[in-house]
Amino acid sequence: MTFEEAQKELERIVQQLETGQADLDDAIKLWERGEELYRLCADKLDSAQGKIEELARRVEAVKPSEPA
Amino acid sequence: MAKVEAAQYGDRKVYSVSAFNRGVADWLSRLPTVWVEGEITELRRQERWASVFFTLKDPGDGACLSVSMPRSQFDALRLDLADGERAHVYGRPELFEARGDFRFRALSIERFGLGDHLAALERLKRKLAAEGLFERRRPLPRFPRRVGLVTGNDAAAKRDFLTAITTRFPPARVVVAETYVQGPRAAPAIVEALGSLCEIQDVDVIVLARGGGSFEDLLPFSDERLVRAVAGCRVPVVSAVGHEQDTPLTDLAADVRASTPSLAARLVVPDAGELRERLEQTRDRLHRAPLLTVERKRARLEGAHGRLRALSPSATLERGYAIVRREGRIVRASAEVQGGARVDVELGQGGFGATVEETRE
Repeated sequence: MTFEEAQKELERIVQQLETGQADLDDAIKLWERGEELYRLCADKLDSAQGKIEELARRVEAVKPSEPA
Repeated sequence: MAKVEAAQYGDRKVYSVSAFNRGVADWLSRLPTVWVEGEITELRRQERWASVFFTLKDPGDGACLSVSMPRSQFDALRLDLADGERAHVYGRPELFEARGDFRFRALSIERFGLGDHLAALERLKRKLAAEGLFERRRPLPRFPRRVGLVTGNDAAAKRDFLTAITTRFPPARVVVAETYVQGPRAAPAIVEALGSLCEIQDVDVIVLARGGGSFEDLLPFSDERLVRAVAGCRVPVVSAVGHEQDTPLTDLAADVRASTPSLAARLVVPDAGELRERLEQTRDRLHRAPLLTVERKRARLEGAHGRLRALSPSATLERGYAIVRREGRIVRASAEVQGGARVDVELGQGGFGATVEETRE
């Protein structure tokens, strides 16, 4: 599942819960699913941020010094 | 044409002075009539002479030409010429046979002062403008593969241009065509230089550079041949001729005008320092962009999560509500259970099992 798909599903779940239409059983299932999706998205973002920062550090290391 | 007779002394052919002069005079008489420009000097006019004499002097190198004109014709012109005045003299060369003196026989004289000169330039300007030669304004290439430079052979203009261009854009490649930039040979020479630069395939722009000079010095840059060559040039031309107040006609025909050669250099190549700075800025943005994306996505995700949290059933239980389940199904109405039924109660903190004592409607 991609980040975008997970994010979309999470938002759909939130909307669904907010309308108050779902009965409690479903609400709890939806809520649990929402939490699961949130963790999935958050993990993806954390790993993306880590990769970007790692790349930036590597680029910085090989950056040529300014000519005097 | 009279046959020039020579005496024969053995194997040697000998002319009399008179015959020689007549022969030369005859040759000269076949030359066409032309206009000659110079300064009037040593003007001699006397009532008892049939002709008026003066010397026409080249202001450039002082070369002299003796001129004569029948006095009646000279007087009829009512020119009232004085020594030092510039004139155009129309006539033909001739030999005064009796003395073997070569001179220019004037048929007409026109004073040619600065005013006349400017008027002639103005006429040329109007004519060329009417042909649309002064309307070309092509954009200059941003990164010319090569820059053509037409300039004098050790001109300060050349040095200024090259210094400015290599300071601003060190990798610039310049082809220099050195040529005459003043005097009568200049205009055709510059036209030729321009042509030779145009033949070099990767020359993308040409600069005509010449430092300031007198009105006379800059005349080649108003020469019709050169103006036409500039207007018809394959690549854009930058004219950097003279100082701001002079406007030679090539300036009008060029695509861009620069007031000095150094300024021309600024126009034809980009500033390498500026380019580098821009590149660095772009790179910084490149580095920041993905993190910004992550941050934006995170903010949106946290927003959704916050809303999810607010809807959390556990939050509701925390407020004191409880969920009653019987065999795993939520009990919503007392009719769903009977006394003695086992139920499961879930609280904000933990839960417990219970038995139904009684039910109410």
